[in-house]
Amino acid sequence: MKQVASDAPAEVGGVAKVRVEGVSKYMLQHGQSFAVLQEVNLYANAGEFVSLIGPSGCGKSTLLNIIAGLDQPSSGTLYLNGCRAEQRLGTVGYMQQKDLLLPWRNVLDNVILGLELRGMSRRVARARALALMEEFGLKGFETAYPYTLSGGMRQRAAFLRTILPEQEVFLLDEPFGALDALNRAQIHAWLLGLWESLHKTIVLVTHDVDEAIFLSDRMYVMTARPGRVQRVQVIDLPRPRHLEMITSAHFVALKAQLLAALRREPAAEPQDRPP
Amino acid sequence: MSPPDRAPPVAAQPAMAPPVTPYIGRWRRLTGHWMPAALIVLVLLGVWEGYVRLWAVPKWLLPAPSVIAMTLVVSWELLLDHTLVTLVEVVIGFGLSLLCGVLLACGIAASRTLERALYPFVIASQMVPIIVVAPLLLIWVGYGLTPKIIVVALTAFFPIVVNMVDGLQSVDPDAVNLLRTMGANHWQIFIKVQVPTSLPFLFSGLRVAMAVSVIGAVIGEWVGSSQGLGYLMIRSKPQFLTERVFAAIVILSVMGIALFVLVGVIEKLAIPWWHNEQRQRSLR
Repeated sequence: MKQVASDAPAEVGGVAKVRVEGVSKYMLQHGQSFAVLQEVNLYANAGEFVSLIGPSGCGKSTLLNIIAGLDQPSSGTLYLNGCRAEQRLGTVGYMQQKDLLLPWRNVLDNVILGLELRGMSRRVARARALALMEEFGLKGFETAYPYTLSGGMRQRAAFLRTILPEQEVFLLDEPFGALDALNRAQIHAWLLGLWESLHKTIVLVTHDVDEAIFLSDRMYVMTARPGRVQRVQVIDLPRPRHLEMITSAHFVALKAQLLAALRREPAAEPQDRPP
Repeated sequence: MSPPDRAPPVAAQPAMAPPVTPYIGRWRRLTGHWMPAALIVLVLLGVWEGYVRLWAVPKWLLPAPSVIAMTLVVSWELLLDHTLVTLVEVVIGFGLSLLCGVLLACGIAASRTLERALYPFVIASQMVPIIVVAPLLLIWVGYGLTPKIIVVALTAFFPIVVNMVDGLQSVDPDAVNLLRTMGANHWQIFIKVQVPTSLPFLFSGLRVAMAVSVIGAVIGEWVGSSQGLGYLMIRSKPQFLTERVFAAIVILSVMGIALFVLVGVIEKLAIPWWHNEQRQRSLR
C-alpha cells in the first residue's frame, strides 16, 4: 500500500465540502522566510470524517487556520462546496485546542455565542442550546461559570458551542489533548455517535494515531516542517465503530503501518524558496 | 447516546451552591477582619489623648480626640452642610471622569492614530500640578461648583484611562480569533470580548480614582470657595479652631473610605465571575 501525496481520484459523490489545492504557507522569522506548509492537497467529502496527523510543528494548526479563514495561504487555493472561498470566516465551525470559554459567561451563554453573533435572539438561542445540554453532559451546569467545570466538561461545552451554529464543516484542532486516556476513549465513542447523527464533515487534527484510526474515514499523514502530505490512508474499519475494535487485528495492522510511516519520514530540509 | 465522563460530584460542588456561612461564623470572620486595624486605631487614640492631657497641650495646637469627637457632635449641622457640598463635587466630578475616561480609553484602544495623538496629552495632564491649574479654572469658569468638579475630574480620569486602556488591550488574541471564525465583526468583538476583559482593570482604576477624587475636591475648595469641607478647614485654621480642622479631616477620611468601599461593592456585583475565579485560584 504505497500511496503518496496526491489523492485526487478518490473524491466521490460530486463536490468535496472542503478542498485544499496546492496550498503553501511561508512565514517570516528573524527576517528569513521559511515554509510551514508546502503544496498541501486535501479534501473532505460531505459527511466524511478526515484526520490530519503528523509530528508537532508540521503546520497542522496553520492548515486549519487557513481553512477557517483566520490565515491566508501564500499560494494555492481553497474551495468550499466547490467554490473558491476567499472570505471564509464564519462559514466553517472551528474548535481550537484551548476551549476558550469566556470567563464572564456561564455555560449556557458561552455555548450560544455563535448563534448570538449570527443575530439570533438570546432567548431563542438559549432554548436551542438547552435542548442539547443533556446530550453534552452539561445538564445542571447551565448557570455554572467555566472555572468551576472539569476539563472534560469545558471541552464538551466548547464542542457544543462549535456545532450549534450548524455549519456543514467542523475543524477540530486536538480537542481531546487535555483529557486523560479513559475520558478520551469515552468521548471518542460519544463523538462518533454524535457525528453519525449529524451527517457533518469533520476535519480533525491530532497527534494520536489511535484516535485518528478509531475516528476517521481517511487519514492524512504529514511530514515535519515544512508540512507536506506524505501519505493518505483509507481507514476501512466497519461502522459503527466500537471501543473493542482498538484491539482488533486490522486496527493493529493499520496502526503499525502508520507508525512506521510517521517514523520513516524524511528529516526537514532547509527551504530556500522565497515567498 | 449517553454523555461520557460526567464530572465527579465533588468537583461540581462549587458550581452548584457556595457553602452558606452561618451567621456566627460570618460575624467572627468580620471582627477578625477588622480587629487588628481597630486595635491600632484605639491604641493610637489612647496615646494621643493621654499625651494631650498629661502635658496639657493647648486645644489650638493639638486637640484631644475627645475634643474632636465633641466638635463632631456639637457642630454637626455646620459640618453636614459642608460635607454635602464636598460630596456632591466628588460624585459629579467622579462621574464626569468615568464618562470621559471610558470614552477616551475606547478611542485610544480602538485606533493607533488616536493612541498616538491622545496618550501624550493624557500623560501631560498629570504632569501639570493640579494646584497650579485650580486657580486658573477659578478665573476661567468662575467661583461655583464647576471649577471644583473639573479639578476632581482632572485628578480622577487618569487612573481610569490608563487602566481601561490596559484592559482593552490585554484581550486574549485566541478569543478574538474564535469570534472571527464565528463571523463576528469588529464591533461584536469589541462588545463581547474586549469590554468584558477590561472591566476588572477598569474597576481597579475606579478605586484609585475614587481615592484621589476626595483630595481633588479639597484642593479645588482650598483655592477659592465659600463652602465645602476644604473651605471650612481654610476658614477654621486662622481662627485657631484646630479641633474643627480635625473634625473635617475625620469626615473626609470616612467619606473617602466609604466611597472606596462602595466602588468595591459595585465591582463585586458587576463582575462576580472575576471575584469567584480569583478566590478559586487562591484556594489552589
